[in-house]
Amino acid sequence: MQTKKIWAPSLLALAIASPAMASDLNINGFLSVGASMLDKDDASIAGADNQGGFKNDTILGLQISKQVNDKTTVTGQLVSRGSDDYSTEAAWAFVTYAANDDLDLRMGRLRVPAFYYSDFLEVGYTYNSIRPAEEVYRIPFSSIDGVDLAQRFSSGDIDGTVQIYYGRYQGDFESNGTVYDADFRNVTGISVSANMGNFGSRLSYNQGELNLGSPAPAGTDLAVVQGTANFLASGDLNAAKDFNISGQTSSFIEAALTYDDGTYSVLAEWTAFDHETSVLLDDQAWMVSAAMRMGEFTPHVRYSTQKDEFDSGVEGDIQKQLRLEADESSITLGLRYDYDSSTALKFEIQNNDEKTIEGADGDSAILYSVAVDLVF
Amino acid sequence: MKLLKCSYSALLISIAASSAFAETAVIVSADNPNASIDKNLVSKIFLGKTKSFPDGSQALPIDQDEGSDVRQDFNSKILGKSDSQLKSYWSRLIFTGKGTPPTQSGNDATVKSLIANNPNLIGYIDSATVDSSVKVVHKF
Repeated sequence: MQTKKIWAPSLLALAIASPAMASDLNINGFLSVGASMLDKDDASIAGADNQGGFKNDTILGLQISKQVNDKTTVTGQLVSRGSDDYSTEAAWAFVTYAANDDLDLRMGRLRVPAFYYSDFLEVGYTYNSIRPAEEVYRIPFSSIDGVDLAQRFSSGDIDGTVQIYYGRYQGDFESNGTVYDADFRNVTGISVSANMGNFGSRLSYNQGELNLGSPAPAGTDLAVVQGTANFLASGDLNAAKDFNISGQTSSFIEAALTYDDGTYSVLAEWTAFDHETSVLLDDQAWMVSAAMRMGEFTPHVRYSTQKDEFDSGVEGDIQKQLRLEADESSITLGLRYDYDSSTALKFEIQNNDEKTIEGADGDSAILYSVAVDLVF
Repeated sequence: MKLLKCSYSALLISIAASSAFAETAVIVSADNPNASIDKNLVSKIFLGKTKSFPDGSQALPIDQDEGSDVRQDFNSKILGKSDSQLKSYWSRLIFTGKGTPPTQSGNDATVKSLIANNPNLIGYIDSATVDSSVKVVHKF
C-alpha cells in the first residue's frame, strides 16, 4: 500500500506533464439507441417484431487508444449490443506498428474488411441509415484474431489503401436462429480502396475455411438439412460429402462505388458468396443508396436485394428439394437530422419484400424505426 | 476634385472588400524551412492523409476550437466539409484506429504561439494576427 501512495501522485504529475500531442490516452465512444416496430406479426426484419422495442438497434462502444512509443499504438474497443443481450465483447484489440508514414502492421483482434462499412459498421453516426442493408451485410461474424497490413498510397489526385489480412475466427455462428460453435480457419483476404475527388471505389476478396467445433447437434436445422441431404443423395457419396460443412472453403467478393459532392451522395455495393459446401447456398446481393444533404436534414433512399443460387448437378437438385433458397429485397426511405456536430436523429420506413423464403412464397412487411446516434 | 472622388470611392470599396472577406492564413513556425504549401497538401495534412511537409519533416496539424469562425472558413474552403461531415469522416478513422483528428488548440493567439515554438506544427489563423514568429505558407 505504501508504494501505491507514493506512486499515485507522481504518476498523476507525469500524466499532466506529458505533452498534449501524440502521447496521450485517447478515449472515444459511440452510442446508438434505436426503436423499431414491424406491421406484421408473422415476420421478422432486423430482429424486430410487431411489439416494438429498443433492444436490437441499441449499441454502446468505448474505445481506448494509447501511443506507447514513436511507432507503436495500442487500441481496444469494447462493444455492448442490445441484440446480444448487452453482453460486452472486444470488437477490436490490437497493437499497431507504424513501419513508416504509409505502412501499418496490426496484430490482435481485427475487423474483417469485407464490406464498405466494415470498419465502422457499428458506429451508426458515420452513415445516414439506421443500420446497413441486412440483405447485403450478411457475414455472420465481424472480427478475427490475426494480423493485417495496410499500405496507404497517394499519387496526384488519387489516394487510397491496400489492406491484406490473415486470421482465425472462433466463436458463435448463427444460422436460422440456432447458434453453433464455429472455428473458421485461414480467414484471409485483400481489400483495395481508392478515392479521387468526389469519387471513391473499393474492391475486396475474402475467404475462409469453415469448421464447426462439433457436429451440428441432433434436431438443429443444420443436422436436419445434412441428414435429409444424405438421404436424398441416395448412395451418391460425393454428393453427400458436399453437404458437410467442416473443411470446406467459402469465398466472398465485394465491389463498391461512392460519390459525394457535399450535397448529393451515392453508394452502390455489390457482393457475392461462393460456398464449397452445398448446405449453404451461393448468392449475390447488392444495394444502391442515395442521399441529399440540405443543412441539418439529409433525406435518403436505399434499395437492397439478395438472391440465392443453386449449385449445378446432383447437389443443386438436392438443394431444390431441401427448399433452402431465399430471394428478397427491400426499399428504405429515411431522414437523418444532425442535431449538433456529434448527434444525429434518424427516422426510417423500410418495406421488405420476401419473394421466396425457404423455397416458398414469402410475404412483405413494413418496418418503422427511429434512432439516436452519438459519438463522443 | 474628380480624380480625388474617384480614388476615395476606390478606397471605400477596397476597405469594404477586405472586411467582408477577412483572409485566413495557413501558418508554420518561422523556423520551418518550407516556403509555401498548396491547398491540396494543406487539405491532405489536415485530413491525416499525409504526415509530412514537402521537405520530408513531420507535419502535425492543429485545429482551432470548434465553433470558431476561422475554423468554419478553413473547413469549408480548404477541406470542403461541414462540421457534421468532418465529424463523420474522423469517426470512421478513430474507431478503426486509423487516425486521430488534429488537436483542438484554442484561438488565433494560442495556435500562433504553439506553432511559433514548434517547427513540426501547422495551423491556420486570421491573417490580420500574423506576426514574424510564424510564416504564412498559404492564404485564402
